[in-house]
Amino acid sequence: MNPLLTVDLGLYVWTLVIFMTVLFVLKKYAWNPLLDFIEEREKDIANSLSMAESAKSDLEKIKDESQKILDQAKKEGKVIVNDSKQKAEDAANNILEKAKVKSDEFIVDAKSKIEIEKQRAIKEIKEEVVDLSIDLASKILQRNVNDDDNDKFIKSSLEAMNIDEAKS
Amino acid sequence: MFVDKKITETHHAQSPADTAIGHVANTDHGHHIFDVEFLSYLSTKISSFFGISENSMFFINLGITKHVFVLLFISTLMVLSIIGLIRNYISHKNNIPNKLMSVVEMFVVYLKDDVLENFIGKNYREWASLIYTIFFFVLFANISGLIPFFDLLGLFGKLGNNELLSNLSHGGATITANANVTFAIATITFVAFIGAGIKKYGFIQHWKNLAPSGLAWPLYFVVVPIEFMGLFIRPLALTLRLAGNMMGGHIALVIFITFIFSMADSFGAWAGFGIAPFSIALAVGLTMLELLVAVIQAYVFALLTAVFIGMAINVDH
Repeated sequence: MNPLLTVDLGLYVWTLVIFMTVLFVLKKYAWNPLLDFIEEREKDIANSLSMAESAKSDLEKIKDESQKILDQAKKEGKVIVNDSKQKAEDAANNILEKAKVKSDEFIVDAKSKIEIEKQRAIKEIKEEVVDLSIDLASKILQRNVNDDDNDKFIKSSLEAMNIDEAKS
Repeated sequence: MFVDKKITETHHAQSPADTAIGHVANTDHGHHIFDVEFLSYLSTKISSFFGISENSMFFINLGITKHVFVLLFISTLMVLSIIGLIRNYISHKNNIPNKLMSVVEMFVVYLKDDVLENFIGKNYREWASLIYTIFFFVLFANISGLIPFFDLLGLFGKLGNNELLSNLSHGGATITANANVTFAIATITFVAFIGAGIKKYGFIQHWKNLAPSGLAWPLYFVVVPIEFMGLFIRPLALTLRLAGNMMGGHIALVIFITFIFSMADSFGAWAGFGIAPFSIALAVGLTMLELLVAVIQAYVFALLTAVFIGMAINVDH
């Protein structure tokens, strides 16, 4: 018989026994630990990938948010600047107005005072003029005019002065 | 090559084919490398228990022939190296695998992703160890057959007249070229895929699963016998595919080498030298091819085992 196809049950039994032994030894000490290890590693990789993905989206969100905040801040800043500008302008206008009012008051005040002083001065001058003219007239007439004459004279001279005053 | 020369010199009258066969086949039944009293006793005991006489073809001879020796040697080597590599790799968890471990891991991950998860499905862990062990067992056996260290040992044995070492050079070193070995592994596959089905569906339902449901009833008379025969043809195909591939390559390899000696025999020594470069170039090329075949056949064996188990587990209803 061809030696290549000899039936050799001894070898068959040996192979069965050895293979089963190898199978159980390797299963316990090699394949199961290795597969556990590989599966754990695959889980780790998947986890890290998803974590990276979520971190990426988080970053994106944060970026958006910061952009939003920045825009908001810019807008607010603009508003504040505009507001303060407006306020400053208002304040300035206020102050100016107040100043104007005050100065106007001063002017009016001064004018009225001046008017009063003027009236008083005119009055004094008038009295002085009356005394002087009486003196002068008595000296000229060498006598005392009676009251009637006096009044007439005074009136006429005052009228004359008034005309002079209006002319001047 | 020296060994081949030595052998052809000692078997001068043999034809190249006989030389080649002698180079691949196991040593004769009676030819033990070690004589272990206990094993011969066990052999006769077991054989007589089954009622097999000593001269029968089916005599269970447990003596250490060369293939048994190689089997033990390779299994030990494989168990030690794989456990060593994997333990070493797992114990430092963050380390990069070394070169050999990378190769082992490549096969393991590839088989897991492309074979186990594909054909067996989610609960592949139950059968993963079997598939991996089959793959690496066959791979180690195939590749170790390509490394002629036994021939080298045998040469030293012959040169130094050491009986044990020269015994080692007799017969083939590729155990997977022996149909008895591959049939044993195929038997395990057979038991595995039947066991897988029975375990999942129960004994009766598993056998009912053999025939696809929903056929017209007369077709069952055709389908059931075919499926039933297929069940037994599968392990036989596995056996012959692996043994045939490994045997064929090695026979071709030896025959290419024996060209040199048959030429030298017929036309003188110079003719032998003349053809040697061609023979050796062919042999080198064929060895490369054999290396490829060694991996592919190991993969095919593992793949088909997974496919058969998957067919038993994932039945289309």
